[in-house]
Amino acid sequence: MTSDLLVVTALIGLSSSAVGAMAPLRIRMHLSVALTIAACASGFVMAAEVLHTGRAAVVHTTALLPQSGLSMVLDRFGALFVAVSAVVGIGAMVFRLGYHGQGLSSRTASCILPLFVTTLLLVPAAANVTTFLFLWELMAVTSLLLVLVDHRRRSEVASAGQWYAVMTQFGAAALLVGLVLLATHTGSQSFAAIAARSTHLPAGVRDSAFVLVVVGFGSKAGMVPLHVWLPRAHPEAPGPVSALMSAAMVNLGIYGIVRVGDGLLGGGPAWWWLLVMALGALSALFGSLHSATSSDLKRLLAYSTTDNVGLMLLGVGASGLFASTGHRALALVALVATLLHVVFHAVFKGSLFLSASSLQQATGTRDLDRMGGLLRRVPLTGTIFLVGGLAMAAMPVLCGFVSEWLLLQAMLHGLPSSDPAIAVAMPIGVGALALTGGLTALTIVKAAGIGLLGQPRSTGAAEAHEVGPSMRLGAAILATLCLVFGVAPFLVVPSVVDAARSVTRARIPDPLVGGWQVGLAGVHGALAPGLLALALLIAVTLVAGARRMLQPTPARRTQAWGCGRDLQTATMEYTATSFGEPLTRVFEDVLRPAHDLDVSHAAESRYYVEAARFHTSLDDAFERHAYRPASVGLGRWGALARRVPNGSIHRYLAFGLVALIVVLVVVG
Amino acid sequence: MSGSPFTSTLTLAVGAVLVCAVTVVWLSSVRSVIRVVAFQGVALGLVVLVVGVHLGDPGLIATAAVVLAVKGIAMPFLLERSGGGALTRETRPLVNVPASLVASAVLIVVAFVASRGVAHFVGSTEGGLVPVGVATALLGFFVLVAKRRPIFQMVGLLMIDNGIAMVAFLCTAGVPFLIEMGVSLDVLLGVVVLMVLAQRLRSEFGDLDLDELQELHD
Repeated sequence: MTSDLLVVTALIGLSSSAVGAMAPLRIRMHLSVALTIAACASGFVMAAEVLHTGRAAVVHTTALLPQSGLSMVLDRFGALFVAVSAVVGIGAMVFRLGYHGQGLSSRTASCILPLFVTTLLLVPAAANVTTFLFLWELMAVTSLLLVLVDHRRRSEVASAGQWYAVMTQFGAAALLVGLVLLATHTGSQSFAAIAARSTHLPAGVRDSAFVLVVVGFGSKAGMVPLHVWLPRAHPEAPGPVSALMSAAMVNLGIYGIVRVGDGLLGGGPAWWWLLVMALGALSALFGSLHSATSSDLKRLLAYSTTDNVGLMLLGVGASGLFASTGHRALALVALVATLLHVVFHAVFKGSLFLSASSLQQATGTRDLDRMGGLLRRVPLTGTIFLVGGLAMAAMPVLCGFVSEWLLLQAMLHGLPSSDPAIAVAMPIGVGALALTGGLTALTIVKAAGIGLLGQPRSTGAAEAHEVGPSMRLGAAILATLCLVFGVAPFLVVPSVVDAARSVTRARIPDPLVGGWQVGLAGVHGALAPGLLALALLIAVTLVAGARRMLQPTPARRTQAWGCGRDLQTATMEYTATSFGEPLTRVFEDVLRPAHDLDVSHAAESRYYVEAARFHTSLDDAFERHAYRPASVGLGRWGALARRVPNGSIHRYLAFGLVALIVVLVVVG
Repeated sequence: MSGSPFTSTLTLAVGAVLVCAVTVVWLSSVRSVIRVVAFQGVALGLVVLVVGVHLGDPGLIATAAVVLAVKGIAMPFLLERSGGGALTRETRPLVNVPASLVASAVLIVVAFVASRGVAHFVGSTEGGLVPVGVATALLGFFVLVAKRRPIFQMVGLLMIDNGIAMVAFLCTAGVPFLIEMGVSLDVLLGVVVLMVLAQRLRSEFGDLDLDELQELHD
């Protein structure tokens, strides 16, 4: 039955793409969106069924891809990712119904968007190298086209598209080499056969394949230092697309690393996982630092995606490290924590990107410095943004808290270990996680405090109106899930445990205490988010009641950020830039802010200032020190190479002659 | 080489093909070059004829007649027609004549070194002569590179084809008639295309220097 659903999902997805390409303009958008939602629903039902029964969905056909055939097997691990993509897809598609502008209504976009969603649903089911690479490339190309839909009107889009195209092709090349290396050395390109034979491969092959695969998947996940495309492409993509990319597509990078590292290669030496942990810690810190200092709302969210991917990588690395040193139970806990974070990140980042797009549409700007007072003007969208943001900051009773708490627990319980690698890596990991958590909280205080509270800082913000109902609904679905999963994580935890077990093939008892509690069997520490929520509710009621009783006269109310002043104007308020300024100063060596102060004096006296302009911008350290020199070098090399073919036919013929002679000498 | 009539005739004919190739590199008069290449076609026909008679294969003898007709008569005639007129000499080749001859010597050595494997594989008299075919093809390529007039490009193309055809005849003891016809027609087509190119060059640039095309480079 699940196998049929797999075919049905693919067919509905393809037909919605065809409808998007061919249906008349009047019904095109609604029909293709409805079909895409149907594909997501079918994918979700299939994934739920696989997760529940544990019986994989299997589809093999030699009719579609030449030579290798199309081979798809959806096990529990893949099904978890399909379910996540399906939920995000439904939210984004409902949102898309009301979303206008940024070129998404063109024929190309309405054909490509369903295709992109379909590939997100199908990639985790691929069961041989060719099928996987085919679907992976399809996903990369469709997402690239969707990033580019608005390129005619804004030049930043084209630049973002170029960055994305280069990085995704670089990653795909690394993946291709890594997977082909495995396939040739095991003599089969089916994932099952590779998994069965990979333990006997030479260490050199396994090591190089793993590193290549981490590079390939890491570039898609936005791992530092391959993240440079992400803060460009995600913000420039249309709202629903940016949500899909940030909440669903980056997950597949994590999927790939776990699938290959734990599944196909069956675990590896400690240094693999120390590498992954190091990259994860770097991504988490770098991403959170940039998102805390960014004042472009969608760029901020994009950097926070890098930050959360870093946390996931930290968990994957910790899990692998535990497994390689024999701590199987802790390894499983760390992997479960990672996968929970994948699920929860998808939910809160989806709601954040969708509500941020709504805010952008309502105010006409993405710049936090031009927003303000939006919670009063667009209450529902503002609340959704707040809920998603608090979940991202890992506030209790929202979902981010559960996964980050579990990850922290797993790493802390590794501390007493006698293994030196663990004894060194875990404290660093815990420290990175803690600092990231703090920076993320700061980010959300900034984004919500500056954007939603205070006085409007521009006419766009002052005249903001609530967006259409379907946009609100799409974002609200995901925000509601943030709350539901936060209070009742037992809805997803068993499935996630099953998924983690299916990929590691570990035969160990359930490491987590079920029921209303989430905890670790065998070690101390348990969390009951439901009770926590209840306690919080009681505490809030008590405090509010006590305050009312003790203080009968109502307090004087003034504007937020007004410091109690009465004659507060928008220009006196804190802005996002000024809020992040102390942090920028502390991390000046990493962020290297560029300030530009332009003061013009009055003609009569230079003691009077006529106008002052202050401009500040932050550079990405990796972009400045690695990518720009590399791109300049490549440009020079290209200019040199262009001089070789000068148009002379004789020169071209000489190339042929030289090549012929070289071939003759080498072969002969 | 032993003294059997088959061996000495074959060696003579093959040697004539190579001598013609070197002569083309050396000469600069368009008319003489066409005559030399016609003679090369005749020598190639002779090679096929000798192999055919030796094997007693009537198909191969017929092929010899076709090769003689196409490469010894038809193509030189076409070349004569397109190349006749004002331009009679290659006045400034890209590589001057002494250097060309040195390069030819190097290319012949390369051909012998490179085709050792093939020669050993084929064995006997024909095998020993295979490098000459490769050398002819390389010299043809060199003519393409070194000379400016389009007529030399046609001649070079023809020489490459002659060299390849000779290797084929020597290695396989006879190429099927149909394949030889196909290849010859291909070369004929190439010559016709080059002729058209030459005409267009003359009408566009008033000259027949291929490097004028460099202006078309962006």
